[in-house]
Amino acid sequence: MEDVRTLKELQLDALREVANIGAGHAATALSQMTNRTIMIAVPEVNVRPLEEVTDLVGRPDEVVAAVLMHMMGDLTGRTLVMFDERSARALCDILFRRSAGTTGEFGAMEQSGLKEAGNILASAYMNALSDFMGMMLVPSVPSLVVDLSAAVLTTTYLNFGHDRDFVFCVETSFRVEGDTQPLRGHFLLLPDTPSLRAIFDAIRLT
Amino acid sequence: MTGEILVRVADLRAGSGDEVLVTVGLGSCVAVLLHDPAVKVGGLAHVLLPSPALSRKDDNPAKFPQTAIPRLLELMAARGASGRRVTARLVGGASMFASLAAPGTIQMGERNVVACRQTLNQHGVALVGEATGGGFGRTVRLRVADGRVEISSVAHGTQIL
Repeated sequence: MEDVRTLKELQLDALREVANIGAGHAATALSQMTNRTIMIAVPEVNVRPLEEVTDLVGRPDEVVAAVLMHMMGDLTGRTLVMFDERSARALCDILFRRSAGTTGEFGAMEQSGLKEAGNILASAYMNALSDFMGMMLVPSVPSLVVDLSAAVLTTTYLNFGHDRDFVFCVETSFRVEGDTQPLRGHFLLLPDTPSLRAIFDAIRLT
Repeated sequence: MTGEILVRVADLRAGSGDEVLVTVGLGSCVAVLLHDPAVKVGGLAHVLLPSPALSRKDDNPAKFPQTAIPRLLELMAARGASGRRVTARLVGGASMFASLAAPGTIQMGERNVVACRQTLNQHGVALVGEATGGGFGRTVRLRVADGRVEISSVAHGTQIL
């Protein structure tokens, strides 16, 4: 399992299924948190050369609120929950019971709220993976930044990842249904390459 | 010729005249900005990694300072720039998500900045300004006509270096 480009269709399907279970539980948590219906898309496995890391998810010049967490235990890697700026404001409106469109700056309270929301979603995601695969997964503390998507993605991969040539993620986008304000975002699972083998072994895909 | 030239991640470009070189969303990456005021020639390299040893695939010189800086100096020389007059500024090398970094480790951003300084020094290019480090991303514009460097960030607005 040296190279993510050589993954077979069956293995990609397995990763999408794993992501679907994780994102499904995270969506349930988000639904309970916001009292809204959440729709999740079919997960995608994105593989890109390092030079194209900024095109992995969303637009490079878009401002995002991103919560990064380490995943430790039987699998190692990271999870990244990303909201575009408008969606992050809409989420703050909901979390702090404000009327729609009233969150302005991301102050200490907004940042704390977004970080905790990201923490809950990523932990729900990891718990589901842990149950499904019979593994022990331990999340780290969450870390939030509100910054350009390009800066978030390059830092996530270069500072915390290990593969310097090809980058990949298992991405599930989600959106809140039936609201005047759009609220959408992405769950990203970023297993370290050696952990892919552990995932395939756990679901008995050899 | 006028207009903004977008320099992507792991890319480098030289410009002259009224051109503006732009790179968007530097996190731990570093933008090396070179400028020769006498002939109004500038260059921008968006480097990712502090050493080619960190990569198996090292065919892209723009990824690393050790290869990007000499290549950029060549491109600028072709437009009439002289190595003796060229000055350098460095922007980027941030440590975002700093609370997740393992204690005692040197961050990729800082390593990138150090490698850029060393490479500039080896090529005898004077480093005249830096906006590096911190926990936030930066977008940078180099106006080739007068060497003005404008840095903007989500967290701290716009500054001139």
